[in-house]
Amino acid sequence: MSFPELKERHVAATAKVNSLREQLKQRRHQLLDTDVAKYAKSQGRTAVNFSSTDLVCSRTLQGHTGKVYSLDWTPEKNRIVSASQDGRLIIWNALTSQKTHAIKLPCAWVMTCAFAPNGNSVACGGLDSACSIFNLNSQVDRDGNIPVSRVLTGHKGYVSSCQYVPGQDTRLITSSGDQTCVLWDVTTGQRISIFGGEFPSGHTSDVLSVSINTSNSNMFVSGSCDATARLWDARIASRAIRTYHGHQGDVNAVKFFPDGQRFGTGSDDGTCMLFDMRTGHQLQVYSQQLDNSDQDAPIVTSIAFSISGRLLFAGYSNGDCYVWDTLLAEVVLNLGKLQTSHEGRISCLGLSDDGSALCTGSWDKNLKIWAFGGHRKVI
Amino acid sequence: MQSNRVDAATEIDYKAPDTSDTRGRHRISAELKRLEQEARFLEEELEELEKTEKVSTALQELLLQVENRRDPLLPETTGPANPSWDCWFEGPQNMQGCRCWIL
Repeated sequence: MSFPELKERHVAATAKVNSLREQLKQRRHQLLDTDVAKYAKSQGRTAVNFSSTDLVCSRTLQGHTGKVYSLDWTPEKNRIVSASQDGRLIIWNALTSQKTHAIKLPCAWVMTCAFAPNGNSVACGGLDSACSIFNLNSQVDRDGNIPVSRVLTGHKGYVSSCQYVPGQDTRLITSSGDQTCVLWDVTTGQRISIFGGEFPSGHTSDVLSVSINTSNSNMFVSGSCDATARLWDARIASRAIRTYHGHQGDVNAVKFFPDGQRFGTGSDDGTCMLFDMRTGHQLQVYSQQLDNSDQDAPIVTSIAFSISGRLLFAGYSNGDCYVWDTLLAEVVLNLGKLQTSHEGRISCLGLSDDGSALCTGSWDKNLKIWAFGGHRKVI
Repeated sequence: MQSNRVDAATEIDYKAPDTSDTRGRHRISAELKRLEQEARFLEEELEELEKTEKVSTALQELLLQVENRRDPLLPETTGPANPSWDCWFEGPQNMQGCRCWIL
């Protein structure tokens, strides 16, 4: 084929892909006959009614000397690992507020951390483009530091997010600025699979977040600067199962809904969304109307669902932490406007294993634990 | 001179690429393969979408699922409540000294 013919085919192929994308967009729009909020209202549902003293800050975890960037709970045991701009991981006993470990990291530019399912190890990653594993039961070195027990190298860009596969202490998934996600064998340090990169259905920009389905741990979703979320089957690295469009900016956060059939996203465009994993439908948009439309909407930095999925917690760049009623798409509380709220951007959120507490991490260097302290009506 | 004749022949056959697009042949060829594969994936998705039900179909199930799950953070929830939900308001259970290093 001559060079001009090749270029003509390239132009034609580009036009075909654009036309197909447009057809898909229109067909999806035709299937959007309602959303969760309209349906719930039509069924007579009303929003969750919180009084301003119902969700209470019951602990403030102080100790980091820099912005908190990431946090993760252990399953059971109520321990939290946090990562900070101060170049440290701290392990907390969330009930007593005490620090059980403080790990000085070889590379201070950490962006993410995660607890292993058995609670014996933590993982972290960042601008060093690697994921470091620390065994909390290791003997400390002569400086009193826990040594690195394994470094997972291979990414060609920063590690933005990491999560252990539920129930598996030897498997970890990372997302990266190199546009890929990777499934690792922690014992050997080898990459088991690479998701994206050269393949056409991979992300086309930095991947910022990852969430593994707790109902089916073979499935995970990723969120990216290419404004999409993508669903992957960990057994099939060659292509994304589905791509979810809708956001107008970077998808900073993705989190599976508790039932594993849906997932939420949070974006630079200031909105959160709920998608149906299987059909690809956009079920709901969670968006605050601003009084002053000239203002840029604050970006969504992090999200978490309560254990039933009825509440969506969303942290924003302006320090707000909205509690959305997911069924009615209304903000029912703002944890960022309470007296005990953080004094800076909320960068990370996470729910305890039993759903009884929410932990928020902030650029104000603190973590806070929120729980329900009001009168609970049990039906 | 010999070299001038060779140069002249090359000049006639060679069409300079667009100044706006100086990427090599190999790169365009690789991109074309990716576009063709993406078109196939999109066609598959379009076919699948023809058999996909509307949004409203799954929403009743969503409502029931959410409302039937116990949730310690809700003011009203299905039972039974778990006493451990209120551990955040009890006194600390473990009074071991803080073992953090000086930061």
